[in-house]
Amino acid sequence: MSTVQLRNIWKIFGPNPEYVYNTMDPAASRSDILSQTGHVVAVRDVSLDVAKSEIFVVMGLSGSGKSTLVRCLSRLIEPTVGQVLINGADVTAMSIDDLRQLRRHTVSMVFQRFGLFPHRRVVDNVGYGLEVRGMGLSERRLKAYEMLQLVGLDGWEDRYPHELSGGMQQRVGLARALAVDPEIMLCDEPFSALDPLIRRDMQDELLNLQKELNKTIIFITHDFHEAIKLGDRIAIMKDGEIVQVGTAQQIVAHPVDEYVREFTQDVPRTKVLTAETIMLPHDGAHKLAGEAVLHNTTIEALIPRISSTDEFFPVVNAGDEIIGVLDRRTVLLALAES
Amino acid sequence: MAQTTIPQRNPTPARFQALLRWGLFAGGILVLLLLSQKFIHLDIFPESWNVGLRGVLNEFKRWVVVNRNSHWMFVFFFEPLSSVIDFTLRRVEDFLLWLPWPVVILAIFILAERIRDLRLALLMVACLLPMGMFGLWQESLQTLALMVTAVIFSLALGIPLGIWSARNDLVEKILHPILDAMQTMPAFVYLIPVLLFFGVARVPSIIATVIYALPPAIRLTSLGLRSVSDEMIEAADAFGSTEKQLLRKVQLPLALPTIMVGVNQTIMMALSIVVIAALIGAGGLGEVVLKALRRLRVGSALEAGLAIVFMAVLLDRISAAMAQIERHSVQLFRGYRLFSEKQRGNKLVGMLERGISRVYALGSALTDGVAKYLAKTFGTKARWLYRHSDWIVILLILIISTAIFLPLGIQNFPEALYFDISKPVDGVVQWMQVNLYNIGGSGIGTGPLRDFLIIYVFKPLRVFLTDQVPWSVIAFVFVYAAFAVSGWRLMLAVLTLIMSIGLIGMWPFTMDTLGQTLVAGVICVGLGIPLGIWSSKSDRVDQLVRPVLDFLQTIPIFVYLVPVIMLFGTGSVAGLIASVLYAAVPVVRLTNAGIRSVDVTLKESAQAFGSTWLQTLFKVEIPLALPAIMLGINQTIMMVLAMVIIAGLVGATGLGLEVYQGFANDNLGRSVEAGLAIVLCAIVIDRITQQFARKASQAANLN
Repeated sequence: MSTVQLRNIWKIFGPNPEYVYNTMDPAASRSDILSQTGHVVAVRDVSLDVAKSEIFVVMGLSGSGKSTLVRCLSRLIEPTVGQVLINGADVTAMSIDDLRQLRRHTVSMVFQRFGLFPHRRVVDNVGYGLEVRGMGLSERRLKAYEMLQLVGLDGWEDRYPHELSGGMQQRVGLARALAVDPEIMLCDEPFSALDPLIRRDMQDELLNLQKELNKTIIFITHDFHEAIKLGDRIAIMKDGEIVQVGTAQQIVAHPVDEYVREFTQDVPRTKVLTAETIMLPHDGAHKLAGEAVLHNTTIEALIPRISSTDEFFPVVNAGDEIIGVLDRRTVLLALAES
Repeated sequence: MAQTTIPQRNPTPARFQALLRWGLFAGGILVLLLLSQKFIHLDIFPESWNVGLRGVLNEFKRWVVVNRNSHWMFVFFFEPLSSVIDFTLRRVEDFLLWLPWPVVILAIFILAERIRDLRLALLMVACLLPMGMFGLWQESLQTLALMVTAVIFSLALGIPLGIWSARNDLVEKILHPILDAMQTMPAFVYLIPVLLFFGVARVPSIIATVIYALPPAIRLTSLGLRSVSDEMIEAADAFGSTEKQLLRKVQLPLALPTIMVGVNQTIMMALSIVVIAALIGAGGLGEVVLKALRRLRVGSALEAGLAIVFMAVLLDRISAAMAQIERHSVQLFRGYRLFSEKQRGNKLVGMLERGISRVYALGSALTDGVAKYLAKTFGTKARWLYRHSDWIVILLILIISTAIFLPLGIQNFPEALYFDISKPVDGVVQWMQVNLYNIGGSGIGTGPLRDFLIIYVFKPLRVFLTDQVPWSVIAFVFVYAAFAVSGWRLMLAVLTLIMSIGLIGMWPFTMDTLGQTLVAGVICVGLGIPLGIWSSKSDRVDQLVRPVLDFLQTIPIFVYLVPVIMLFGTGSVAGLIASVLYAAVPVVRLTNAGIRSVDVTLKESAQAFGSTWLQTLFKVEIPLALPAIMLGINQTIMMVLAMVIIAGLVGATGLGLEVYQGFANDNLGRSVEAGLAIVLCAIVIDRITQQFARKASQAANLN
């Protein structure tokens, strides 16, 4: 079962959102609704299922509603219409107290501009979630030290946030979110404010941590490369709507429209596409000759093996069954498709 | 043949309107002048219209006096409140006076060192010592106790109210105009009712001070809380903070610097009415100033005035330092370096700094020792106790030194250290009085100047405004001005306010005051604008003028009132000169700032078209700076009006004298009527000049 389920979430900003929702033409575009009613449709009929322990990336340009969507999840922004289920519990129907408990124990958040409290030392920032839960000083300090060690910041616990670099500050943000040992982590463009090099480090760091911790992570970004690198699955948002959901290969190989294609264009396809996504069906029409190719081999790794022959190679899955075939032509066509 | 017709230039509607307006204005005056010849009611404000506020108020006062001991309002509200305040004040004062003087100085020294650095600490000592040396130690501590008590109550009220108004828009909306009124109203106006309800003692002066000093505490608390960024609040929310946790753990700490600015302003506001509070028996330094003033002893007045200035510097610097909280994980080195790099080679300097560093080393060794001892005795449970071992050490030092000094009988500042500056000052003033009053019998000097002003300016003006011009014409001028700068609403408001002045029977006194205000205002503006322009053009002039303006604004008015009286005698001229000294400051400042802030590219483009210096000034800079200048004029006139009562104290006729004589003769109604008239007058002039300034800035397209 999915950990997080969103059912037809709408978020309309303006003085009278319910009225606009009930009276508007469902087909009207966002700009029409804005000009007619003065209301902004930030999130439009979004339904999603996020599986346990997956990194689910929501990608979109600024203003596409992705930040609003993620805030609807823990009701930092109240959705206008729709249902949020976390582990089957209806978040949208929760009382304030239950919601607070959810935020204290189950869902934590990492912010784009870090959201660290400037008046608290690093250790007290990390311990904040535990502190508001009512955990005692020494206990939460211990936990905070542990988390700081995890993100590689031991020795910095008594500093103030402004004394740290941007990358280090976001490590503190990460440690603060992890300290409450949440099941679900919401990351709102956590690395956007960082330099490219540091961003890459942080992405690697997050992937490493995820191997160990197996959290359910909902990660917002406007950077498609980041989405591909981190996401088990990616949802692409445009004007408040989800236009495509899928794995990186699915999206790169089969973008649903021009908008998505634009993003995929400067993606190095050789690094993203795998044998599985480009293979032809194994229908016996092709004479197999080459050595079997594992289904998740990237094109980059395939090219040296297939470039000097016209033979068809079998593609096998982890169980060594043949699931498809490919040859040099298949690969070249897949590369040319962009 | 085709004939091109040049359109005839008709008088444009705008031009026609202007003509109509002036016509209406002149016509109105003319009609009223003629009518008032026939109807005496339009010439002299009829006494029969007097609503008799005075009688009602005096009646009420009598009722209060009779019922003070029996009515529930006093028994259950005013008396208990009064005794709580009195109790607090007494305890604070007794405690401060009980402390040996070296301990007081040491405590403030250490506090300043801890908050900022050694330099601030030394400045504090430099402020404290003269208070003792002038023989004003006890009075200074009384004033300090008054300040401390007033500030405690202001903050105890102001911070919760500020929190409330930050969290509730309705409360903010309701409080806003009330705070505005509290800040613009002359302190005297509420001094009188406060006096009535709480009786003459030091309690009403505390209450008046609290009322006066409360607004910044509320405002800045609310502002500080409201300006905590949404990001911080969201982060706190995301981790499941309750409202209370959000407030206590995030909002209040983040708003603290702003709140401390509010505390600083509260303290400064409180201090600024310390002399006025002395009028109703606050005691302390204010009383010394007042007494010296009554006896015309410039020297003692100056001493007490300087002590007030030192007190102001002390409280201002220390509370400002508290507002600048710096968060550093590593204690920054604040240390003992008092001198610049250049002087470091000097032998004496080296010795001094080594000495200071020894003291520091001793202090930190002591602190470490205590911390270790506490850690050993109490274990991890009392962690905060040994984390703050430095404060424990400080407390111990203060207690021990008190225990040493007290048995020795050292409490009050020793007379052996007195350093009297009043006698030489008196000498100088006397010399000036003798020699400047009429220099060499030449007809030039302060005396002839005063006579000239009285005979040729004040008296004719008063006669003109009160006797020659009918009241209806003056009222018409104000009402018309209100209409011209704003519209119907302001016009009706001004009409009501002006009529009220007449209806409470204050018309003649108001005209007298208005005339003097006019003279002071004209002098202020006539001197202030050129000076402001000059200092905007020359940095050197600016550097010279700035400290003088600072000095004029911080030193209590009473202090320079005394030499003014010595030179010009009591009366309206002394009031005028004091008013000008006090009130010219904003017009100079704002003219300077206004011209300096004109965009450089605009000046350059004016010069690029070959404007002369004067053309640039008059065609570009002054028009663009006009809103700022108008604001300066507005503030200056307001300050002149605020001085009316003080001018009355030195014998200037008009409303101020009425208020003061009402006080002196136990005639509450008279004081309130005159005070009310000042407020009404202030509102009228304020609104009209403000609207005029707004119009000017609209005309300059600056909005």
